[in-house]
Amino acid sequence: MSVEEKKPGHRWGMAIDLDRCTGCQACVAACHAENNLPVSTPDSAAKGRAVHWMRVDRYYEGEFPDVRVKYMPVLCQQCDEAPCEPVCPVYATYKNPEGLNVQVYNRCVGTLYCGNNCPYSVRYFNWFAPEWDTPLELQHNPDVSVRMVGVMEKCTFCIQRIRRGKQDAKEEGRLLRDGDIQTACVQSCPAEAMVFGDLNDPESKVSRWAESGRATRLLEELGAKPKVFYLQRAK
Amino acid sequence: MVVAHQVIPYDEVRDDLWRPLSGVSRRYLVVLVCAFLVGLSGLVAWGYQLRRGLGVTGLQRPVFWGVYIVDFVFWIGISHAGTLISAILRLTDAGWRKPVTRAAEAITVFALAIGGMFPIIHLGRAWLFYWLVPYPNSRLLWVNFRSPLLWDLTAILTYMTGSVIYLYLPLIPDIGQLAEHATGWRGFLYRKLSLGWTGSDWEWHALERAIKLMAGIILAVAVSVHTVVSWDFAMAIAPMWHSTIFGPYFVTGAIFSGIAALLLAMAIIRRAMHLEKYLTRKHFNNLAKLLLLMSLLWLYFTMAENLTVWYGNEPKEMDVFGARVRGPYARYFWTMVFLNFVVPFVLLGIRRLRSVTTATISSVAVLIGMWLERYIIVVPTLSFSRLPSAWINYGPSWVEVAITASTFAAMAMLYLGFSKLFPIVSVWEFEPHPAEDD
Amino acid sequence: MYLAGDFHAMEPAAAAIMELKANAFDTDDLAVFSDEPVEFPRGVLDRPSHMSLASVLGGITFLLLATGFVYFTQHNYPLVTGGMPLFSFWATGVIFYEMTMLGAIVATFVWFLKESGVLRRRSPAPTPKVEPGWICLRVRCAAEQVAEVTHWLNRAGAASVKKLGENG
Repeated sequence: MSVEEKKPGHRWGMAIDLDRCTGCQACVAACHAENNLPVSTPDSAAKGRAVHWMRVDRYYEGEFPDVRVKYMPVLCQQCDEAPCEPVCPVYATYKNPEGLNVQVYNRCVGTLYCGNNCPYSVRYFNWFAPEWDTPLELQHNPDVSVRMVGVMEKCTFCIQRIRRGKQDAKEEGRLLRDGDIQTACVQSCPAEAMVFGDLNDPESKVSRWAESGRATRLLEELGAKPKVFYLQRAK
Repeated sequence: MVVAHQVIPYDEVRDDLWRPLSGVSRRYLVVLVCAFLVGLSGLVAWGYQLRRGLGVTGLQRPVFWGVYIVDFVFWIGISHAGTLISAILRLTDAGWRKPVTRAAEAITVFALAIGGMFPIIHLGRAWLFYWLVPYPNSRLLWVNFRSPLLWDLTAILTYMTGSVIYLYLPLIPDIGQLAEHATGWRGFLYRKLSLGWTGSDWEWHALERAIKLMAGIILAVAVSVHTVVSWDFAMAIAPMWHSTIFGPYFVTGAIFSGIAALLLAMAIIRRAMHLEKYLTRKHFNNLAKLLLLMSLLWLYFTMAENLTVWYGNEPKEMDVFGARVRGPYARYFWTMVFLNFVVPFVLLGIRRLRSVTTATISSVAVLIGMWLERYIIVVPTLSFSRLPSAWINYGPSWVEVAITASTFAAMAMLYLGFSKLFPIVSVWEFEPHPAEDD
Repeated sequence: MYLAGDFHAMEPAAAAIMELKANAFDTDDLAVFSDEPVEFPRGVLDRPSHMSLASVLGGITFLLLATGFVYFTQHNYPLVTGGMPLFSFWATGVIFYEMTMLGAIVATFVWFLKESGVLRRRSPAPTPKVEPGWICLRVRCAAEQVAEVTHWLNRAGAASVKKLGENG
């Protein structure tokens, strides 16, 4: 196939194997580093204002000493029919042709309606101007903007890496290969519990994982059509 | 004992109703200064919030809407005072409403002005609020008309326009009369506002036609306005928000709180301006009965909503329901039920207890109760979100409290100003028509 | 020549008007001034009004404008949100409803301004000063008819009849 051949657009998705996840939160740290997430103080964290585009939810079952912990990395599910999109009055969030739920920081006026309508609570607001303890502000990723106070933000599936991957492929005159683009969280997972790729490509790892018998989606009954698949042993 | 108002001579009517317009009493000044100080504190608080960010409030994920939205719904609800009295009672030709209409319509306009501030106050980047208005711009951007917040904008804009006109129209003849007698800046103001009213029959005819049409239109708009405000919640998929009952529930609650506000305002006006002959016990009796009726209606809707949720036993909804009825918000919930139902039912339902005083007490209770009701609707749903990892407890900060308090101060100041400029009881409507029977 | 007759109640004023109309006076020559609206029976002093029509037309105009505007803007800047179609009647029906009502409101008010004539320039006809509680009937008649008209007004029950100068 030549590069000029028309191919169907991409549809980015992610699959997370909960049976492999150890809850180490390397994905959380990587996301912070990649996307210029603000650092929280103990005070703001206590007020529930820590910003973690990727967070690991912990669910405990049973009593000590028979406690079992389930870890669930939760990030923006990039829903196909996202409930957060139609309620934004200024079109600061909408679905782009590659299936991503994009957040336009410059357009957001801060009505906070999208945050209310997200059933996964994965939208984070800049309650104050973001701050970094020195010298972390020197570590900012130049490919990602720094948001201002009053603006909503959330996981973007590392759209800057998607763009870089597509651009590299174009410059090199080749097609995108599965695995070329990895989001920061997927790249950093030591248990290799996460995969990211094109759901429109039936050969991609994410498509194969999504079709596995263990694949479920979070709050699937709401019909938001999330594109993050969670693999876990069926009970 | 009912004083038949027909026997008051016209000159006395005019003197009584015009007397409050001149001179300020010591009590007036004290109230004005206190209100100003409270209002100032609200402005300071808002300035602080604009400078630092919404973080100065108690809001946090997932409770993205808190006291500001409660205030917003509360004040828009209060604005339905005028609608009920002016429009419904005008359309049904209930003569007893006549001394009460202007006070009610003034409440409507001012409550809308105050309530309409909150969509701006609660914004993260409030200085960009005008982006919600579709205007041609160099970036070729438009707004999302599918968003319930845009519906809010159009509905409140329409209602505001209609209410101002509906307040102004019946005011014209009174301003015309005042213009003949006033001098100085007041005279100038009245002459301009009276538009050259002469009292000719075609002017009266056009005025009455316009008022009658506006009454019908305003009623239709008011029902839609609070329905649309309720759809800010009902259109979301949050548990116990996504309920079909919200439209009628909110309209009922709005009329309920509107009557309470009107009763309170009337009680204050009556006492402060010595208008006992015009705002008689009969008026309070009728309004008290209406308040009682709305209380029962409110109870009916509240029960219908909660019963269906409880019986349905859907897990996410039951989390929120439990939070309201047994959990962290239980004290607000049961206080609300007590203030909204028990107090009016006892004080107004028992004939012997019903009086101007108890009606006033009931109104204050209902106003507090209805504020709590909005709080109960907005906050528990958000703080007990679908994913339990995000559950959090919300409490307002001093900034939110200051701004809330300042809205009441603002209402007081606006009303004080209005009552000094225009007669709070409509003079021309008070004169009984020859063909009218009350 | 303008004459003004003061009446203390609606019935004598109505009688005077009927008498004048029976003697070839037109409703355009008559005007009633009062401090509160006077409810004449039908047929006495009817003024045709098109306010309801204006209101409806205003509503329809704004409805069409709003529908066009929403359709145009949503297609001009097409963004997919939540899987909803670009132009959805039900999702934007509220906007249409409110704009219709706004149109009706604005049209009613504007028509009121027009029909009442409050904003017109100083009319050449003098405005009589009306005492509170009284009804004043102003008649425009030729100089020769003054005595006749005065007689009719008095017979109908006018308390006083006077000629109007520039200042009423």
